[in-house]
Amino acid sequence: MAGPERTKPRAPILQTLRQIATLVAVVIVVFAGLFGAPAAAEADGGPIAPTVLNRVFPGATHFGATDGAPPAVPAYRDNDVIGYVFSTHTTVRSVGLSGKTLDIAVGLDMGGTITGAEILEHHEPILAIGVSSDDLARFVGKFEGLNAANPVRVMRRAPKNGTALDAVSGATVSSLLMTHAIFQSAQAVGESRDILAAAASGIDLTGFEEASWEALIADGSLREMRLTLADAARPNADKGGQLYPAGTGPTDPATRFIDLVAGLATPARIGRNLLGARRFNRLAGELAPGDHLLFVAASGLYSFKGTNYVKTGRFDRVQITQDGATIQLGSADHMRVDRLRIAGAPDFREMALFVLPRDRGFDAAQPWRLELMVQGQSEAGPVLATYPLAYALPDRYLTAAAVVPHLVPSSELWRGVWRERMPEVVVLIGLLLILGGIFFLQDLVAQRRTLYKALRYGFLIVTLFWLGWYATAQLTVLNVMTFAGALRTEFRWDFFLLEPLIFILWAFVAVALLFGGRGAFCGWLCPFGALQELLNRIARAFHVPQPRLPFTLHERLWPIKYIVFLGLFAVSLGSIDLAHMGAEVEPFKTAIVMRFMRDWPFLLYVGLLLGAGLFVERAFCRYLCPLGAALAIPARIRMFEWLKRRWQCGRQCNICASRCPVQAIHPNGTINPNECIYCLNCQTLYFDDKTCPPLIERRKRREMRGAAMAEAQADGG
Amino acid sequence: MRTHAPVTRRRALTVLAAAAGLPFSGFGRAWASVPELEWRGQALGGRARVLVRHPDQDKVRHVLAHCVGEIARLEAIFSLYRQRSELMRLNATGRLAAPSHDLRLVMAEARRFGTLSDGAFDVTVQPLWRLYARHFAERPDDRAGPGARGVARAAALVDYRAIDLDDGRIALARPGMAVTLNGIAQGYITDRIADLLRHEGLTTVLVDVGEIRALDGPDDGPWRIGLEDPRHPERTVASLPLAGAALATSGGYGMTFDSDGRFHHLFDPATGDSARRCLSASAIAPDAMTADALATALAVTGADRARNILAAFGGSLARLALADGNVAEISR
Repeated sequence: MAGPERTKPRAPILQTLRQIATLVAVVIVVFAGLFGAPAAAEADGGPIAPTVLNRVFPGATHFGATDGAPPAVPAYRDNDVIGYVFSTHTTVRSVGLSGKTLDIAVGLDMGGTITGAEILEHHEPILAIGVSSDDLARFVGKFEGLNAANPVRVMRRAPKNGTALDAVSGATVSSLLMTHAIFQSAQAVGESRDILAAAASGIDLTGFEEASWEALIADGSLREMRLTLADAARPNADKGGQLYPAGTGPTDPATRFIDLVAGLATPARIGRNLLGARRFNRLAGELAPGDHLLFVAASGLYSFKGTNYVKTGRFDRVQITQDGATIQLGSADHMRVDRLRIAGAPDFREMALFVLPRDRGFDAAQPWRLELMVQGQSEAGPVLATYPLAYALPDRYLTAAAVVPHLVPSSELWRGVWRERMPEVVVLIGLLLILGGIFFLQDLVAQRRTLYKALRYGFLIVTLFWLGWYATAQLTVLNVMTFAGALRTEFRWDFFLLEPLIFILWAFVAVALLFGGRGAFCGWLCPFGALQELLNRIARAFHVPQPRLPFTLHERLWPIKYIVFLGLFAVSLGSIDLAHMGAEVEPFKTAIVMRFMRDWPFLLYVGLLLGAGLFVERAFCRYLCPLGAALAIPARIRMFEWLKRRWQCGRQCNICASRCPVQAIHPNGTINPNECIYCLNCQTLYFDDKTCPPLIERRKRREMRGAAMAEAQADGG
Repeated sequence: MRTHAPVTRRRALTVLAAAAGLPFSGFGRAWASVPELEWRGQALGGRARVLVRHPDQDKVRHVLAHCVGEIARLEAIFSLYRQRSELMRLNATGRLAAPSHDLRLVMAEARRFGTLSDGAFDVTVQPLWRLYARHFAERPDDRAGPGARGVARAAALVDYRAIDLDDGRIALARPGMAVTLNGIAQGYITDRIADLLRHEGLTTVLVDVGEIRALDGPDDGPWRIGLEDPRHPERTVASLPLAGAALATSGGYGMTFDSDGRFHHLFDPATGDSARRCLSASAIAPDAMTADALATALAVTGADRARNILAAFGGSLARLALADGNVAEISR
């Protein structure tokens, strides 16, 4: 820290505010802890369930903890990570056609192959058009076995040659988005972990340096298995059999039965050292890409080749096993090796190279086993036993070349989404034009009470039912945090364009903030606000008492929402996932987006808020709503004051203030634009010459004048 | 087309406790100083389970992952539900020019077990299975079962000696013959998994792929395995200690064709009829494949030849729940 002038104590008020903010942040974290678990389980950020892990990565039993960037769950086998499972929403924030979370669990093995995919969460508006969730699940299931380095195209009618997938009919864009989510996240995870690079090249076949036999054995390039006579005879002895007919064969149990050596010979460092440059280069030139050479050599009593292969064309004493595959070796794959060029090699009784064509499922980068079969004879029949030689290509041969895969351009994506949702876009723009018209002609509307009421409640009903429950276009404070997060990291318009309705709404709200304030959204376009207001109207119709909070208390409750917002914002800088949980303060997800189909703690919370709203109109909006707070802050820049006041307001009359549904009018008559929901109620009063005292007075005067004039006329007549 | 109803293998054996003296394995796990790891999954249409105790949990997980790959590989060989499995290809044509080591080994053992049990254990009973399955699929209420002529015709195709294993290929000598490895294939997988774990240095191990194979028991004690009551499968009638050996149970009650349970999948190769001398037979042998074949052979022969067969197979204990309600226990 610096000099004395810097250590001046901060203004006490600031300190207090900081303490309050800290306190609130703590409260939010506790809140998140209480309600976060169910939220995490059903949405993003939560761990992927073990059953899902097993289904999308069937080849593994053990899964590690989520780690790395982008985050993924490592899948293990035999001390090795054999792939990853990740959520598309966690890795690339995938969203669906609905603009809501689209989350798919994807498994990716070290070869870049997708081992499985399963939808974790989606809000695709598909049920309305006769597509079922099962259709989507089936579609996602088709990704199993595809390589992440080669994204497939998705088409309404894919050609049958396997270059593209058939989209789910009626949900083309959803299919496109799911495809995009899967490949984009697979590539993000694959590139960050050098998987996709490994899939393209994988093994360093050309790197060469002289190495002796001992060196190749020592570093695991070649592996050995030694069996003594005793080892080989044991299974037979247990079952009353013998390796050699009675009275023949060796007797010393320590006799070397077989010393077997095996290794992958395709990498130059192994193959060229073993075979010499000339033979190795000739063989390597004949191999098709993806084919591999296997070197096997042995000494001792037992031959790994046997003699049957001459007759049957198959080696019946050795087979390769690897991760679900059993690979047989045939005489067509076999090449004799008569001498080794490598220094320090022992003398072998027999040596061979086997070609393993790619199409038999051999993956040289993965561990494999060479299984040796030994047959003995018992009285009851032959006794067979197998002995494994385990091999794993040392890491030094595994490479990571840079491969940049091609994705569907994201402009194509959002354009598709807009095309698909065009009807809704048109309706929303129509609605916003109507709303703009109401604001523009607010005096004309406010002067006509019946028209005003029809427009007001009609609009709220459309906002709640169509915008909210049908289109689920509910703005939330999460949008604000996402936006802020994008500004801090990588801002991409196309990301926001994927949610057409939300995008249009925000565009409108931004302009409205500049012109008038947050009220245009809060009072007219927020489905939850509409829900509260409509319920309160019903409650009033049933004469539910409407206690008015004393203004001093009311005023002191206002800041809560700002603190909630600031706390959430602070949390979002640290952990967006935690902020997502904290954003459950907003009942929007429960009441609007998920249409109350949620666990009871959420329903209870919404019930409490709506219950409070029956007595205190828009109680949530007034005191708690972090989105309202988030809008009120930038709304300070508004350019105009459209709402009309009289000089008498607050001095002589408080009718507007007492009738304001959210008590946004100070006792002194000024309208607090931070709290105003722009419902125009005060404006109808402003023009109402039966309610507004100055107007009543004027009317009475006019009437008196009229009466007097009529009297005078009558007198005069 | 196959006409089989889907087979669900019953589990006649349950692992009672991980440690001797502790009534529940859950407690054993909670109090044990060495952590226990359990894997559950599927193998050949039945549930599979592996229990391992080892201080290095990560290593155990890696090895278990390896086991899953091995199970997948063996399923591709032995499954009766995958059209392209080696076993299905063998049954379809009666010969297999290029069988895997695994199928050859199991078929060789099957032949040997046939000889050792003098035909009481015979993997070529699949034609009988087909006959009964088809019969009861068409006439589920027929209490008489398929006619004697049909049974005789199918039984004529049952002969383990007609399995030809020369030159590394497999051939079934008579046309129409077919093989079921239901049972010993599970035993083989059990053994392979146990071997794989042991090769990796894991020795406190219990593998349960329908049959149970135990390596060392926990805390120097044996694992305890519960046997279910064949008449009331939800009940456990006995518990057997098991370490360094395998335990298998065979009983016709596990899968019956008719509602009375008179006709079931455990055939007496000599008569072609379902074996009815025992309700179930359990056996302990050094490995799971042997234990399985031994239990099956004993379930067919009943108590009379049990002692001889037990000795011939190298088994150590047999426990027969006889049809008359008595229990015969034979140990060696």
